[in-house]
Amino acid sequence: MVRDRRRFLQGTAAAGLAGIAGCVGGFGDEGSSDVRVGMVYATGGLGDDSFNDMARQGVVNAREDFDLSFNETEPGSASEFDGAQRDFAESGDYDLITCVGFAQADALSGNAPEYPEQNFMIIDSVVEEDNVRSYVFGEPEGSFQVGHLAGLLTDQEFAAGAGETNPDESVVGFVGGVESPLIESFQAGFEAGVEYANEDAEVVSSYVGGFNDTAGGQSAARAMYQDQNADIVFHAAGRTGIGVFQAAQDEGRFAIGVDDDQSVSNPDFADVILASMVKRVDTAVYSAIESVVNDNFAGGETETLGLEEEGVANVYGDELGDEIPQDVKDQVAESRQAIIDGEIDVPSEL
Amino acid sequence: MRDRLAEVLDRLVGASALERVLISVAALFAAVLVGGVLVFVSGGFATCRTGLDLAGWTFCYNPMQVYYELFLGALGHPLEGGWQLTNFGLATTLQRTTLLIFAGLSVAVAFRAGLLNIGTQGQLVVGGLATAVTVVYAAAIVPGGFIGTVVLIPLGVFAGAVVGGFYGAIPGVLKAYGDANEVITTIMLNFVATGVTATILSWQFQDPNSNNPQTRPVPEYAEIPNLPLIGFSGRMDFSLLALAFAVALMIGIAWLFARTSFGYELRTSGLQPEAAAYGGVDERRMTVASMTLSGALGGIGGAFWVLMVHGRWLENVPSLGFDGIAVSVLAGNSPVGVGAAAFLFGVLQSGSRSIGTGTDVPPELVGILSGLIILFVAMPEFFRMLGLRFRPAGTSQPARADGGEGGDVDE
Repeated sequence: MVRDRRRFLQGTAAAGLAGIAGCVGGFGDEGSSDVRVGMVYATGGLGDDSFNDMARQGVVNAREDFDLSFNETEPGSASEFDGAQRDFAESGDYDLITCVGFAQADALSGNAPEYPEQNFMIIDSVVEEDNVRSYVFGEPEGSFQVGHLAGLLTDQEFAAGAGETNPDESVVGFVGGVESPLIESFQAGFEAGVEYANEDAEVVSSYVGGFNDTAGGQSAARAMYQDQNADIVFHAAGRTGIGVFQAAQDEGRFAIGVDDDQSVSNPDFADVILASMVKRVDTAVYSAIESVVNDNFAGGETETLGLEEEGVANVYGDELGDEIPQDVKDQVAESRQAIIDGEIDVPSEL
Repeated sequence: MRDRLAEVLDRLVGASALERVLISVAALFAAVLVGGVLVFVSGGFATCRTGLDLAGWTFCYNPMQVYYELFLGALGHPLEGGWQLTNFGLATTLQRTTLLIFAGLSVAVAFRAGLLNIGTQGQLVVGGLATAVTVVYAAAIVPGGFIGTVVLIPLGVFAGAVVGGFYGAIPGVLKAYGDANEVITTIMLNFVATGVTATILSWQFQDPNSNNPQTRPVPEYAEIPNLPLIGFSGRMDFSLLALAFAVALMIGIAWLFARTSFGYELRTSGLQPEAAAYGGVDERRMTVASMTLSGALGGIGGAFWVLMVHGRWLENVPSLGFDGIAVSVLAGNSPVGVGAAAFLFGVLQSGSRSIGTGTDVPPELVGILSGLIILFVAMPEFFRMLGLRFRPAGTSQPARADGGEGGDVDE
């Protein structure tokens, strides 16, 4: 009896092990793609309908054109970046590791020399290593554009969709994620744009302290609309910005999106989104992947995508864009050309 | 029905140490089985390019592969070629284990004294900052090299322990002299810790060369050194010395409980406060002392997080302190059990990362799998504790001085 049981156990164990060995290589694998990409997102995570989702869009677009598979992690805090990057690098299976967001720069400058054969790219920051390609954007220029738009509209009597301006007061608002040089450069450009349009206009600003604090974004924007009489609020705050749109809808005012055309990615709020300061993170990711596929990845270089390269742009809202007066659009288009020609100097610091 | 239930409880309460281990292993297998079905079924609702086609459905996730990554990925895939003992996966597992031993011990010490310390996280946060700041500033005075290592690391750990201990003493004092519920005060002090450290950081200690909220790095020689030859390489953020220290501390706490009068008084206060008071234990002093010890252990956890993992203090400290509560509960608040529970948590956390890079299974699902395992393994212990309360083991036997707990020796 005892022997039977022992034999049964041994048999089961052997069958189990064989089963594991057989199954592990089976379905659910990544498949055998030519190129594998690891994505490490910024702390806002996927579903922010802006920055991270744009980066993901880039790799999804690339997957349609190339034989490619990708894997992604969403670190919850800055202390996890180092491990997340290293998990991908350590496996050695990835042809490119995409680090989304400036907060990953510290971790990457430690990891890049450690894995010299591994290609990395980083968005929004510069890491000077031979195996890292850095992409930075002309955020101040793009923010200047939407600032110009906001400055022109705040003085006019303008109603469209679910919002209207308050022509008696020339106040516009800015909601930022965290106080950092990058986000402050959005604010600096925005303020310069508003001032360019209207020297008397006032810009109120607030930093919520996080990129995924929707409730915080909502209360910050609500305070601007209600207490400070702002009628247009621009956000550079990832998912926190969704709260800004909610507040705009509640108060019947306008908001300006960031990173992608948020009137398209958030159709529920299309009736208050005047425009979006689009930052083509997807283009950056796509072009880096393309260079890896074509075997001409240029590490150690920094690519700046500004207004001229269409890395940043003012894109009018899907629903409200047609109702914005043509003379306003013309003026914004003129300032764009003036920035490209170097006639307007956009500050990048407050 | 009632008799049947009572019988099962009696059986659990009377289970020997070996039986309890066996029950835990069986629970682990049951959790794997249930989780596997869950993974497989949820794979039916995902979209992928390579899946298993079955009766018109495409199942994307392979439970076998997921558990392979979870358990063997945590050891660095020992069944695959080119495996070496000092690999990154195992380093991550042991790093987590080390840190969770400190956090788990912190919670266990308070638990045994009858206090629910939910504030280990806060104590760890302030302790870690104290360590980083002390070492960064002391490094300017202390010579570098070997002397720096020998002086700065104990100094840093000491600073973390002192500040963490002080931070733990606050709710202890509030409990002892103000009758403030320690659960509420420790929870609130966690928020205070996060806020105060963030403010102190931006006020004085922010690294000027970085956009991230963090202190300046400690000098390299002040990070926990690795053992030559058999140790893990420096970039893996894990040192066997730290693990050895954690294990030594664990044994020390077990010895404190089992063999010292302080430990005896602490345990008695937890089991039967009235009896302890009658026996001459100063209840208030014991509350403050056990909370201080608990806080100091949390602070040491923070010190090792700083000196071993990042070499600096960062805002947004991972939730080690909260995981410590689960570790301690899983271990039945026994110090030696904390080691085993911390290792299980280490495997789960390191394996989760391995799943993240090795498969398409979303992190939320991996969280469910880890949760299932913890739940299944903890449940028998939970019911045993419950049973102990209502149906004490061997009531027919004469009462023992340790309150019928059976002591730590056989746990």
